[in-house]
Amino acid sequence: MTVSEKTRLISVLEGRPVDRVPAICPGGMMNMAVLEVMMATGHRWPQAHIDPKEMAMLSLGVKHLGEIENVGVPFCMTVEAEALGAKVFLGTESTEPRIVEYPLKRIEDWENLPSITEEHYRVSTVLEAVRILKGSCPETPVIGNITGPISLATSLIEPMEFYKALRRKPEIALRFLDFVTDNLIFFAGAMLRAGADVINIADPSGTGEILGPRAFSEVVVPYINKITEAVEASSGYAMVHICGRLGPVLAELSKLKSPVLSIDAVTSLREVKESLPGKVVMGNVSSYLLEKGTPEKVAVAAMTSIKQGAGILAPACGIGPRTPVANIRAMVRAAKGEGPSEEKRQGKGRTGKEDFRQAPLW
Amino acid sequence: MEFEGLLKAIANSVLSMDEEATAERTQEALAAGIDPLVIINEGLVAGMNQAGKLFEENEYFVPELLLCSDAMYAGLSVVTPHIEREENLYLGSVVIGVVEGDTHDIGKNLVKVMLEASGFSVHDLGRNVPAKAFVEKVREVNADLLCLSTLMTTTMGEMKKVIDLLEKENLRGRVKVLVGGAPISPSFASSIGADGYGENAARAVRVAKEMLGITQAKASQGGGR
Repeated sequence: MTVSEKTRLISVLEGRPVDRVPAICPGGMMNMAVLEVMMATGHRWPQAHIDPKEMAMLSLGVKHLGEIENVGVPFCMTVEAEALGAKVFLGTESTEPRIVEYPLKRIEDWENLPSITEEHYRVSTVLEAVRILKGSCPETPVIGNITGPISLATSLIEPMEFYKALRRKPEIALRFLDFVTDNLIFFAGAMLRAGADVINIADPSGTGEILGPRAFSEVVVPYINKITEAVEASSGYAMVHICGRLGPVLAELSKLKSPVLSIDAVTSLREVKESLPGKVVMGNVSSYLLEKGTPEKVAVAAMTSIKQGAGILAPACGIGPRTPVANIRAMVRAAKGEGPSEEKRQGKGRTGKEDFRQAPLW
Repeated sequence: MEFEGLLKAIANSVLSMDEEATAERTQEALAAGIDPLVIINEGLVAGMNQAGKLFEENEYFVPELLLCSDAMYAGLSVVTPHIEREENLYLGSVVIGVVEGDTHDIGKNLVKVMLEASGFSVHDLGRNVPAKAFVEKVREVNADLLCLSTLMTTTMGEMKKVIDLLEKENLRGRVKVLVGGAPISPSFASSIGADGYGENAARAVRVAKEMLGITQAKASQGGGR
């Protein structure tokens, strides 16, 4: 009996045995949308950030052409920030949306911020895309991505001000983080209600490398755990991606309640797995290699991650828009036990362009 | 000795992230007749360098380093008006910025602070800087060093664009390029033709000095502004 992609991933999340590791690209900060897919399918950035159908179709395009075992939205970290009052530039076909103006000058003023609503155009776009994806591929896990609390907080006020406030005005900073976290819980809940199976939380601005172990356990762990608990209370699954070197906070990571910890390429997967035997470690194929390497080298890196104990195979971080689809496929096929040689035998080129001609047009 | 005690108090107030105390101690040192450049180098900068060392040793992290730099700048704003401007005060001139498509500038700001504390004249182009703007600034200020930063894997490629453009404009031979940021590795740095890689702010300064052939002795003479 073949196992569906969704069943396999959920089995891993629940700690049950599986036939092989799943291979996914979550989306969100861990971007998966690449130019080749945009060209082949006609569903492109920046339109795909604000049109639910375009968003869903682009994610499906990556799934079909890259052969990844999930779909996921959105493709950036600006949805929540814009809904909370930040000004956002949506980027171009090959650059991600980014914050251009923070709504807060002083952290004290956070109480004047609006809250996230399902009606905000960025939020409703994502929710509708989740509904479309849920309907079009019921056997595939739908991943809803949210920005971590520190990254969202530093999208609402100049990051230097926020980091300083953590030490200078901790009570205000923590109340602001409570507000940010409550909004994230609302957004995650809305995505789960729309049909998302998994919520992936990525907090690149809240790493142990930036904050140090003490601040990490005081201002990152409790808030991420609060989101994890809320997601699980809504019958969803939470995954947490932590960027950067984990060395200084390896001990603190065991306090994270999420069953899955996704890690960067700069960290040894084996080391993390050894110190956190109870967690599913996800990762960590170098996104640089994915963009610049050959399918053969990507396959080797993917096999290395699996051998080191990856429970879910995934890129180490967001992948660049110029990443060749053939390399994404090589990563996924490594998990499936098909080498890149398979690809050659089938007469498919390294760029994978040949595939697009046969690809269905969404 | 009284001078030494005052300078040490300045360094300590920087290290303990105390803006007010730093400004006050600096004022006292000026009143005691200590040379402004000595106040800067042996008080404010010395404190910042100690903070940099703690940062490298994983005792201090980004929030602490930011607060130390606030304290240092508080002292600098007290002492700077008392400096008689001289030529060749700087170790070299640096252009720094975050590449186009990326707006994360904490790392860049830390490197800037540490470079300034080490006596470089730093031209900060901010974040989301197009390749052309880097190249124009390098030409305009005749920079010795160009520092490029990015936090995102998706914008790493922009760094090569800047280096290629320097090449095209025949400026590459005149300026050293130092790259850094979370996703950057030494092998990536060399693959795009950068001269150096800074793993963190403190190390970036050391690499910058090495690349420009600045010895420790020379560095301790410079550093005023």
